[in-house]
Amino acid sequence: MARILKVMVRKGVNAAITIFGIICLNYALLRLMPGDPALSLTPRDPKYQGLAEYNRELFGFDKPPWEQFAIYLQRTVTLDWGVSYRLGLPVFDVLMRDLGWTLVLVGTSTVATIIIGMVIGSIAAQKRGKPFDILSTATGIFLYGMPIFWLGFLLLAVFEKGSIVGHYFTWWPALPSQGYYDDMLGPWSWDGAHLTSAAQHLILPALTLTLGTLAGISLVMRSSLIDVMTEDFVTTAKAKGLSDRQVLRRHILPSGLPPMVTLIALDIAFVIGGAYQVEVVFNYYGIGWETIQAIDNLDFPLLQFIIVVGGVAIVLANLVSDFILLLLDPRIKVT
Amino acid sequence: MGATDAVVRSGVVSPFQASLRVALRRMQEVWARIRHSRTAMVGLAILVFFIGMAVFAPWVAPYGPIDRVADTSNCVPGVTCPLSPPSAQHPLGISEEGADIYSQVIWGSQISLIVGIFSAMVASVLGTAVGLVSGYMGGWVDEVMMRFNDVVLSVPWLVLMIVVAARIGTIDLLGLILVIGLTGWSITARVIRAQVLSVKERLFVERARMIGSSRSHILMRHIFPNAFPLIFANTILTVAVSILSEAVLAFLGLSIYNTVSWGKVINQAIGGGALVIGGNVWWLIVPGLCLVFLVFGFYLFGFALDEILNPRLRRR
Amino acid sequence: MHAVDGVSFDLDEGEALGLAGESGCGKTTTALSLMRLLPYNGKIVSGSILFRGRDLVKVSDLRIRKIRWKEISIIFQGAMNSLNPVRNIGQQIAEPIILHEKVDEDEATNRVGELLELVGINRDRRRDFPHEFSGGMRQRVMIAMALACNPKIVIADEPVTALDVMIQAQILELLERLRKELHLSMILISHDLSVMAETCEKVAIMYGGKMMEVGKTVDVFTDPKHPYTQGLVAAFPDIRGQRTMPASIPGDVPSLINPPSGCVFHPRCKFAFDRCTAAEPALAEVTPGRRAACFLYPGVPEVTPRPMTVEAR
Repeated sequence: MARILKVMVRKGVNAAITIFGIICLNYALLRLMPGDPALSLTPRDPKYQGLAEYNRELFGFDKPPWEQFAIYLQRTVTLDWGVSYRLGLPVFDVLMRDLGWTLVLVGTSTVATIIIGMVIGSIAAQKRGKPFDILSTATGIFLYGMPIFWLGFLLLAVFEKGSIVGHYFTWWPALPSQGYYDDMLGPWSWDGAHLTSAAQHLILPALTLTLGTLAGISLVMRSSLIDVMTEDFVTTAKAKGLSDRQVLRRHILPSGLPPMVTLIALDIAFVIGGAYQVEVVFNYYGIGWETIQAIDNLDFPLLQFIIVVGGVAIVLANLVSDFILLLLDPRIKVT
Repeated sequence: MGATDAVVRSGVVSPFQASLRVALRRMQEVWARIRHSRTAMVGLAILVFFIGMAVFAPWVAPYGPIDRVADTSNCVPGVTCPLSPPSAQHPLGISEEGADIYSQVIWGSQISLIVGIFSAMVASVLGTAVGLVSGYMGGWVDEVMMRFNDVVLSVPWLVLMIVVAARIGTIDLLGLILVIGLTGWSITARVIRAQVLSVKERLFVERARMIGSSRSHILMRHIFPNAFPLIFANTILTVAVSILSEAVLAFLGLSIYNTVSWGKVINQAIGGGALVIGGNVWWLIVPGLCLVFLVFGFYLFGFALDEILNPRLRRR
Repeated sequence: MHAVDGVSFDLDEGEALGLAGESGCGKTTTALSLMRLLPYNGKIVSGSILFRGRDLVKVSDLRIRKIRWKEISIIFQGAMNSLNPVRNIGQQIAEPIILHEKVDEDEATNRVGELLELVGINRDRRRDFPHEFSGGMRQRVMIAMALACNPKIVIADEPVTALDVMIQAQILELLERLRKELHLSMILISHDLSVMAETCEKVAIMYGGKMMEVGKTVDVFTDPKHPYTQGLVAAFPDIRGQRTMPASIPGDVPSLINPPSGCVFHPRCKFAFDRCTAAEPALAEVTPGRRAACFLYPGVPEVTPRPMTVEAR
């Protein structure tokens, strides 16, 4: 147990270093590159001059670089992240609001991706070389190479209300998109109408993201299980008289799954990348959509903390996966 | 000191040339296996098709990438545009800017391939250098490099790319290649590092170390040639990723101004009302399919190559 | 491609049969076929495996699963890889007991303890994982596991190959003792003739996926009939005899994808004549109690496409 604790502490320290690194890289990216740092944080529109003044004060843009860096670190930690030019709201509040909706989207798709991907991957591995395997692997690689935004537009063209297909076949299921829920319902409240509408609005974006990231899991699951299946202990298990399903459940999955945990965590970065595109295609106003708006409007105060929030989310996901791995796999060595 | 070292020292061939020779000999063995892999050959056929399209674009495409074939000065976007649906003369119709979409799709293969291949090379060279040094040196060098790698891997790559793009600008080809290359090396670095760690423990490296070969010598003559096939397979896969990255950037509006890529055509199709009822859906579908098939080709070839080169998967 | 063809032997109760031959000649494939355990890209094309009057090739999947381990168990060569790294050894030994004998957890745990002690391991180590054992100890665990359901036949596939010489002797002694005590039938697969000489009553010599010679161990080793067996015995250094360089058989093991015509051994056989390239000799009795597949002996017929048959009584 002490050994596991030691590894956990080391992983935790590494995660902390990585987060600090992200904060530094972010600072370097947005200010130390060519161009006037203060200017790059200034909005185009003169009517936001007041906000720009506020941010200039908050982050001490007139101070020498090292002092600026210290202020920046302090503000980052105290969540005092300045004001967004585009919205005129505190950056922290904007991000927390958007983060909620992005988590709904990313969470739904990730869960769906993991479950469906693992099931398809393990069936394909078991039926290696049979039609199901060939078909699912080819489809997988095909989907894996599909630009997610394009896939989104295709689904939009087919399923959206008033879509081309829906125009010719009235029985065709039409799903709403654009936004979190129907605007006609007014501000969000936890009632049936809002929840139903939100769920309906979630289907197309989540489906796009799931299809676009599914193959990442299923292909790796397949090759990882096939790898395990060629191990001698699987032959031993079969020789013991276990049925194929028992061999899979008791022997193949327990040793094939731990490596998957790491891969799934790495994949989350990919899912988040996909979420940006999906949010833009479907006008789902989460962090991704906000990012593109921030770039278009040169809303740098917002942008700089989007990078921090996204990076920290990925580091935490990896850390959690490392911990799960430690508990699952007795083979883990201290390296 | 072996005889080959004497040759190297006398200046006939540089250590780099010598190591490249060893690598090329291994590549020949690999080629023999590729010919027997159906997956690899299908992938290769797709690649040959698109490379042919890119090379012969000037002769195959009826018009230039941004030539105006119709006057669009009076058209109202989304209402009277697109001017023309697919016709015999313009198989995919005419865009809002008055360009022949069929020609644009053919020219688009050039940008996708050039950007994809060159930024993958930038990413591979960087990633390989980091992976080799990090894996071989070990100790604190490895620790520092891997922490930095974690940082780059953790920052959402799309945001990173957009921010870098916004800072150095992507209006020209070189800028675009650098943006995608500079943000895409970290996975390569991890893969190569893992390979170096395993090669490092093998007997011939041990032997070379024992007879007193220098670190750079071992790195260039023993470790690099052994990692080279893997680097190659990994570069092929990185090309696929880079092509997708270019498409995403173009879709978000960050593209080269004086030519077209498939991502840019898709972007224009959406803006030009391809999805509106009665709109020209082929404008959206054809460039997308080209992207999908090109990436599919690189993935098929790359995965097959990886399977051939990765002994772990080759077993049984 | 036919990995194994024309294999035929029988095994009596309490008897030990040695299956010998160079690596890659189909010994392991034969062993796996006996339990219908060929990998996904292999299958038994034809033949029969008679076990107590039942043909194991033809019985249902459910029936063969009930026979596996309960009646026939197997010890694989690398115990490190043959044990599941993420489950402790107690669970792994108990697994077939619970599966086949429908006993409860406590009873199974008790049996695991007995089995471990039988092979010389402290019963308290049942919660340890495979990586916490040394190579020899792991092989002991594997043996304990093979005996878990009191099988009639134990197949030992190169049980000592990966171990160092001292441990090899210990494990072989253990196997031999247990076989006598428990009255087991055993098929011992090895490329090491000295192992066979010490433990097996009968040996079968394989080459290129075919069986070359079958007979009593003493007879086969003192008076080999088949030229391949002769070469093999000559190549084997006699530890008590003079120190001479072992004679090797010139040439390489034949390719299974592209086998030579006629007798598989003819390209390397110094007695080969015209008939050997044209036709394939069948395994037939050449002297009482001894069968060989070689045209040097009168009365050895040519092969008509003939299935693999294995009999166990």
